[in-house]
Amino acid sequence: MEGCPRNRETCPKLLDLIHQERKWYHDEEKNNADQEKKLELRLAPPGGDEEDGSAMKKKNIDTRNNIKKEAEEKSIFNLSGNHFSSSNKTTYAPPHISHKRTAPGPVVGWPPVRSFRKNLASSSSSKLGNDQINKSGDEEKQVQPKREGMFVKINMDSVPIGRKVDLNAYSGYEQLSFAVDKLFRGLLAAQRDASGGEGEGKPIIGLLDGKGEFTLTYEDNEGDKMLVGDVPWQMFVSSVKRLRVIKSSEISSALRFGCSKQDKMKN
Amino acid sequence: MAEEDLSEMAKDVELHLKLDPPLSANNKPSRSFKTSSSSSPPPCDTSHVLENVLENVLKFLESRRDRNAVSLVCRSWYRVEAQTRSEVFIGNCYSLSPARLARRFTRVRSLFLKGKPRFADFNLMPPDWGARFAPWVAVTAKAYPWLEKVTLKRMFVTDDDLALLAASFPGFKELVLLCCEGFGTSGVAVVANKCRQLKVLDLIESEVTDDEVDWISCFPEGETHLESLSFDCVESPINFKALERLVVRSPFLKKLRTNRFVSLEELHRLMVRAPQLTSLGTGSFSSSTENAGQGEQEPDYASAFRACRSLVCLSGFRELAAEYLPAISPVCANLTSINFSYANISPDVFRPIIRNCHNVRVFWALDSICDEGLQAVAATCKELRELRIFPFDPSEDSEGPVSGLGLQAISEGCRKLESILYFCQRMTNVAVTAMSENCPQLTVFRLCIMGRHRPDHVTGKPMDDGFGAIVKNCKKLTRLAVSGLLTDKAFSLIGEYGKLIRTLSVAFAGDSDMGLRYILEGCPKLEKLEIRDSPFGDAGLRSGMHRYNDMRFVWMSSCRLSRGSCSDIARALPSVVVEVFGSDDDDVDVDEDNADYVEILYMYRSLDGPRKDAPKFVTIL
Repeated sequence: MEGCPRNRETCPKLLDLIHQERKWYHDEEKNNADQEKKLELRLAPPGGDEEDGSAMKKKNIDTRNNIKKEAEEKSIFNLSGNHFSSSNKTTYAPPHISHKRTAPGPVVGWPPVRSFRKNLASSSSSKLGNDQINKSGDEEKQVQPKREGMFVKINMDSVPIGRKVDLNAYSGYEQLSFAVDKLFRGLLAAQRDASGGEGEGKPIIGLLDGKGEFTLTYEDNEGDKMLVGDVPWQMFVSSVKRLRVIKSSEISSALRFGCSKQDKMKN
Repeated sequence: MAEEDLSEMAKDVELHLKLDPPLSANNKPSRSFKTSSSSSPPPCDTSHVLENVLENVLKFLESRRDRNAVSLVCRSWYRVEAQTRSEVFIGNCYSLSPARLARRFTRVRSLFLKGKPRFADFNLMPPDWGARFAPWVAVTAKAYPWLEKVTLKRMFVTDDDLALLAASFPGFKELVLLCCEGFGTSGVAVVANKCRQLKVLDLIESEVTDDEVDWISCFPEGETHLESLSFDCVESPINFKALERLVVRSPFLKKLRTNRFVSLEELHRLMVRAPQLTSLGTGSFSSSTENAGQGEQEPDYASAFRACRSLVCLSGFRELAAEYLPAISPVCANLTSINFSYANISPDVFRPIIRNCHNVRVFWALDSICDEGLQAVAATCKELRELRIFPFDPSEDSEGPVSGLGLQAISEGCRKLESILYFCQRMTNVAVTAMSENCPQLTVFRLCIMGRHRPDHVTGKPMDDGFGAIVKNCKKLTRLAVSGLLTDKAFSLIGEYGKLIRTLSVAFAGDSDMGLRYILEGCPKLEKLEIRDSPFGDAGLRSGMHRYNDMRFVWMSSCRLSRGSCSDIARALPSVVVEVFGSDDDDVDVDEDNADYVEILYMYRSLDGPRKDAPKFVTIL
C-alpha cells in the first residue's frame, strides 16, 4: 500500500550495513571500483547479472507490486543513495533518487510544513542570547537542501536595489567583473541622471585593479571585508559570502596597500 | 459548473459569445445584442439607458461568482460588467496572459494573482520554475494607472518589479505578498518610500532577502496613511528607533506585526505608543540580553496589554520566554484570533492562559500544548471556527504529543468548527469519525499523519473509515487533505460523497489507478488536485480526460505516469497546458532510458496556450 519511487533496488545484503553505517562510510572512501560495483543500486539480486541501472528504472515502472519488500529495501536505499552521492559536494545534497522512498529517512517535502517551521526545535533551545538566535535563522534556510547555483548578494554604493549573482556561472574574475558592469550600469545611470537617462551610461570598469571609479569588494565567511581578485578564483568562490561595489575613494589606505588578511595568507 | 474565476468565465464567454474576433457582418444573422466593434451608432436610446442603469446596479455587485454569472447574460451585460469590475482574482497566473486581462477589464483597482501550486512550498518544485510578477506589473502599469491594491500569492517578485509598481501607480494603497520570494529589503524600501498613499504593507510568510537596507527609515516623514504593517517573516534586524517613530506618526495604524528582532522591551515601547492596535505581532516576546538579570525595573507588560482595549488578534511569540506569557492575560477575553504556532508552550503554561479566551475563533499552535492543551481549548473556546496544530518536531518518528484524543476533545467542545489542519503521529478512525459527527459545519478538513502509510494505531486498519465518515457527514466540505494508510476504498468514498470538494490533497495513499479514477469520476466540483507519491498511473490519469478543462490544475509527482499518456492529454485538450519536469532543475539532459517516466506533472487550463517563459527543465507537451 505504498507509493512507489522511481528507483528501487533489491540488495538485501546492504541490510547488514545499516548497523555499521559509519564504518561503511569510511570503507566507501577506500573502495575500489569492484566493490563499488557490488554495492551499486540495482534491481537484480546481489551477484546477479550486471544489468544496466537505467534499464532497471524502466522495469520498475512495470513491476511495482511487491510492496512489502520495498519497506525493508528503502531504508537501505536511502543510506546507499546518500553515500553514493557525488563526493565532491561538501554540503548535504541528496541525489534525486533518494526522494522516492517511504521508509525511515528524510523525504523531500514531508511532512508538509514550510521551511520556516522546520527548525523550531533547535532555535527554541537557545533562548539565552539574541545573537545565538540570530544564527539559527540562517540555518533555517540551509537545512533544506537546495540544488541551485551559488548565489551571492551584490550591492553597489548609491544604488538602492541589490542583485544576486550566480558565481558558478563564471569561470574567473574577468567574467564576474563584466557581469557586474552589465548588472549595474543601467541602474547607476538611472540614479545619477535624474532626468531619466539617455542610454546606458558609462561602463563600469577597473573594478579589480583599483583604477576605476569603483572597486569590487567582498565579505568572506569570517566576516572580513576584502578586495576581490587576490586569491585564486576557486578559493574566492568557496569563501565569499556577499559582494559589494564601493567607490574606490572609500577604500582605506590599509586595504589598498595590501596590509590585509590576504597578504598574510599569501605569506 | 466548477469554480467561476476569471479564466473559466472568460473561456466560456469566448466560446458562447465569440467576442474575439469581431463578428463579420456577412454571414451572421442579426442578433438581439450589439457588437462592441459596431461602427454604426446604437440603434435606439433605450439600450444606452439600460446600460447606464446596469452599470449603476452592477457597481454594488462584489462577489466574483455573481459577476461571472452576470457576464454571461448577453454581450451588453458582459461589457458593462467588464467595465465595472474593480477587483479581479486570477487563481493561476498562467491561465491567461496579462494582455488579455487588460483587454477585458478596463477599470481595475485591485488585483489578486496566484502563481505556483501549493506543493512548491515544500520544495517539490525546482527553483526558477516561473510565476513571475514582472509581465503583470509591466502590463498593468500601463493599463491601470489607478490601481490601488495588489495581492500576490506564491509569485516570484523582484526588487525591480516592486520599483516599477511603486513608480507606476500614484494612488497605490495596499500591497500584500503571501508566500512570495525573489525580492529583498531594497524592494520593500522602494515601496515604502514611493507609495505615498500606502495603507497596507503586509509581508506574510515570504522570503525576503537581507539587502542591509534600512527600509523602515524609507517611509516618508510626516503623518502616514498606514493601517497595516506586517513584516514578521523578514529575517533581518530592523532599525527600531525608526519603527518607533513610524508608529508614532501613523495614527491610523491598526495592525502591526513585527519580526523576531523586536524584543519584549521594544514591543512595550510600541504598544504604549499605539494602544489603538487591533492586531499585534509580538516579535520575539523575550527579553533582550542587556536587560536580563540586571535588576533594572522591568516595564509593566500587563499594563501595556491592558491599555490596548481594541486588541483582538495576537501572533508572534517567536522566541517566547514563557514567564512573560501571562502578561497577555488582560486581553485574553477580547481575543478572537491567537497564533502561538512559533512558540513551544507546554500544557502547564498554556492552560491558565487559554482559560480566559472565550471568544477565540481562530487558533494556531504547536503540538507542544499536547492533548491536554487541546482539551483546555475544547473546554473554553466554544466559538472556535478554525484550528491549526503544527508539529514542533516535524519528523516522522518524533514523539507525537497530540493524537486522536485531542482531536476528539476538540470535536466535542468546539461544535462550530469549520476548518482544521492537524499534524500528528498517530490517529484513529474513531476520533476522525467523532469529528465528522460533532462538527457538521466543517468546510476544511486537513489531517496530516506524519508517519507515511500509518494505519489506525489502535485497530491496525487503514484510515479509510475515518475519512469516509468525514465526506459522508460533513456535507459542506470543500477542502480535504488525507494521510495515513489508505486503500482505494477511501477514494471511492471520497469520489462518491465529496460532492462539494474543490481542493483535494493526497500523499502516499491508495493502491492502484482505481483510486484516481474514483476521484475523477466522482467529486463533481473538483478544481484543484494535488497528489504525490501515490501509485496512480496512466489509466487513472486518462480517466479524467473529460474533467481537465473544468479544473484549475492537477499536480501529480512521483506517481506512475509515463510521457505517453501526458502527451495524449495534451493532444486531446488544447486548452490544457501540460508541463512535465523533474525535481532537479539540472536534469536538463534527460536520461535516455528513463525518458518515459514523468516525475512531476503539472497541468492547468489556459486561455492563451503554453507560456513563453518556461525554463529549460520544463517540457510542455
